[in-house]
Amino acid sequence: MQRVIEARGITRIYPGGTVANDGVSLVVRPGEVHAVVGENGAGKSTLMKILFGIEKPDAGDLLIDGREARFEGPRDAIDRGVGMVFQHFSLVPSFTVYENVVLGSEPRAGARFDRAAAIERVRHLSETFRLKVDPEAQTRTLPVGQQQRVEILKALYRDAKILILDEPTAVLAPQEVDELFTAIRTLTAEGRTVIFIAHKLPEVLEISDRITVMRAGKTVGEVVAAETSEPQLAAMMVGREVALRVDRSTHDGPRAVTVENLTLKADTGVTLAENLSLNVHEGEIVGLVGVEGNGQAELLEAVAGLRAVSSGDIRLKDTSLTALSVLERRHLGLSSIPEDRLAEGLAVESTTAENLVATRLDDPRFAKRGLLNLRAIRAHATALIDRFSIRVGGPEFKVGTLSGGNMQKVVVARELSEQPVVLLVNQPTRGVDLGATQFIWKSITDARDKGAAVLLSSADLSELLALSDRLVVFYHGRIVAAFRNSEALTAETLGSYMLGADRMDDGQMEAALR
Amino acid sequence: MIELLTAVFSVTFFVTVIRASTPLVFATMGGLISDLSGALNVALEGMMLIAALTSVIVSAYAPWWVGVLAGVSAGAMLGAVMALFHLRLKADIILVGFGVNILATGGTVFALSLATGGDKGTSINLPSKAIPRVNLPFLEDVPVLNLLHGHSLLSWFAVLTVVAIWYFLYRTPWGLWLRGVGEYPAAPEAAGVNVRQVRTWALVASGALSGLGGAQLAMFNYVGFTRDMTAGRGFIALGAVLLGARHPIGALFAALLFGVFEALSIVMPNLFSWIPGELIQTIPFVVTVLALILLSIRAQRALKARGVAN
Ligand SMILES: Nc1ncnc2c1ncn2[C@@H]1O[C@H](COP(=O)(O)OP(=O)(O)OP(=O)(O)O)[C@@H](O)[C@H]1O
Ligand SMILES: [Mg+2]
Repeated sequence: MQRVIEARGITRIYPGGTVANDGVSLVVRPGEVHAVVGENGAGKSTLMKILFGIEKPDAGDLLIDGREARFEGPRDAIDRGVGMVFQHFSLVPSFTVYENVVLGSEPRAGARFDRAAAIERVRHLSETFRLKVDPEAQTRTLPVGQQQRVEILKALYRDAKILILDEPTAVLAPQEVDELFTAIRTLTAEGRTVIFIAHKLPEVLEISDRITVMRAGKTVGEVVAAETSEPQLAAMMVGREVALRVDRSTHDGPRAVTVENLTLKADTGVTLAENLSLNVHEGEIVGLVGVEGNGQAELLEAVAGLRAVSSGDIRLKDTSLTALSVLERRHLGLSSIPEDRLAEGLAVESTTAENLVATRLDDPRFAKRGLLNLRAIRAHATALIDRFSIRVGGPEFKVGTLSGGNMQKVVVARELSEQPVVLLVNQPTRGVDLGATQFIWKSITDARDKGAAVLLSSADLSELLALSDRLVVFYHGRIVAAFRNSEALTAETLGSYMLGADRMDDGQMEAALR
Repeated sequence: MIELLTAVFSVTFFVTVIRASTPLVFATMGGLISDLSGALNVALEGMMLIAALTSVIVSAYAPWWVGVLAGVSAGAMLGAVMALFHLRLKADIILVGFGVNILATGGTVFALSLATGGDKGTSINLPSKAIPRVNLPFLEDVPVLNLLHGHSLLSWFAVLTVVAIWYFLYRTPWGLWLRGVGEYPAAPEAAGVNVRQVRTWALVASGALSGLGGAQLAMFNYVGFTRDMTAGRGFIALGAVLLGARHPIGALFAALLFGVFEALSIVMPNLFSWIPGELIQTIPFVVTVLALILLSIRAQRALKARGVAN
């Protein structure tokens, strides 16, 4: 049997004592899509970083193409044909796409960086592998889906024979996932090998040939995708049965949030959302449906106070929010789980305890006369870590050392530690495992049942359909459809409005916009 | 007022501006390189001072250009020492920088007294040399072109340096690495670039450039060393980096602007004897502070105008 990668007995213990990999083994065959699945913190990313030379194993052997590999750094791995797309991207924001792609291995003409050749090569690669992106665009202006393509192009530019994709689908909209899968199939058809990490099992079963399951730093087993099923995999991962079921709201409260004729503009003056009107009542979840970039995220930002309003009004009960600062809004009971936990949700260099108390520094329990009560902050953190089952060494561990899913739980724990009046949620379970998804969903619906008015946006339609009581569809910054959720409502119906193929008239929407 | 204007629009004034700006331009470029690589080099001041003394002492016993090279090497070595402490021993870059500055203030006085046999204030007793002036006598009487006459050789080199740094930063792969490392180190690291190496070289280059500035100061602007002769130029250079929007050409103009004010503070005491000299000497610093305040107000306004900041 041929093997491109063979890892045996890989052990990695982080400083601080976390055993992230404990005698892990992994065998990957050439030309296959090999999935690695497991709960948050199971050690998948760590194993991948070892394959890519970012982390060094404390024990174990790694063979690439049958030859032993001892990587001192990513350069060595790149030279052996390994490429990796990280769970959290590594692109320089102010650089153009082509600069990011060629960084570190630039085409040269003498001592000069040959920009024309770089642009040409990137354009060629992007066409060959059908990863559409403008080589000359500035990276920071691109939506995440395209940034990911840049990452993949980066690996392909270095002629990676083995491509590691760490949770690539977590940040993608459904159509983008399909495009990614097409690209992956093009790659394997060429004889390249792809290692694929994901939490959503249907995706894993669709794209992969073989699946390695990890749990708590160990390999639990390897299965052939065609011979297994979702429940079987889930049971292997978690060690118990998991069911994702949510109860609909039963509560019917008064109106809490009113958004009236809201118009939002970008820094450049481009209109992001126009004439939005919608209401959220106490005890209900309103789902904001739409392809990324159609105004849902911007609406949430405007309600949270992170984006200035051009015209229109946002009210909580009878108070207009538009003139209030973020802090003042929070005092009125607004909570927000932002889309990008690293950029907006957390301070990664700070400890878990500090992050958990960050929004409550004016609470006399935690800060009195300008002095922090460290004991109370620690106790608060310990309680939340326990209540939200966050997997972390302790309150004093830096948030940056947590696995992606556990970082997300820190944000959720902070925002839901006290019952909010209004809860804004954007991509709550991006990169989060099954068990934690179940938990976060339950936390959100619990907040709803206690009377919170929830606005939810997600790239995952099944999540929106599972949680929302009502749904509104955004297209080009306008609301084009509105539904009361029911068994009959399907992702396909939503999809046709999301892509602009259909639109309701005001009369049709009225009932669902109440 | 008329006197001031005639003084300002004279060829001599222009030459003074260029002379005053040259050390600043070098230090500013040094500050720019390290700033772009992600390390704020607050030690420009100390590096310049040590380099100034080194070139004075060496040039007393060797040709002028060996003196300049010695100053450059002293700066580069200080950069390497900073890299060692900051990158290998993980010390805070600001603290290391201030360490260098403190070492420079005390160390230069000490070394000066050793070199001169007891003199702690100046190097008058050392027969140190000067950087040659580039005289273009055939242009002396041609209007406009006569502005090119009579500058330090290093001033010409400074122009070349700015262009070379611009080319390096925006036209070569290494410039791309440097900027990438400064903005988001995880990206070049994942791309196989040795981040620590890039930062080390940036600090060494930063030191070498401030060394050039120090050499110009003590071998042209003044010939000889006086204690604390850099007089805050290293910090003004840091201001110039920001004021120049972290771009070599912008930084060049910022450094020239400060050069103008320094030149003014040189010619003004003769014209306005009623203004205390100390007050006039504060002008470049006041201008630095004002410029930075204006710059940040403008940035805030721009953000507000686009509806980003509330
Ligand atoms: N740099 C680090 N320092 C200390 N501990 C770390 C570091 N990186 C990860 N860990 C810990 O190692 C364990 C495994 O983390 P890893 O990121 O490999 O998990 P994962 O399987 O990728 O999880 P996820 O699905 O959430 O991304 C976790 O408990 C995490 O907290
Ligand atoms: Mg991970």
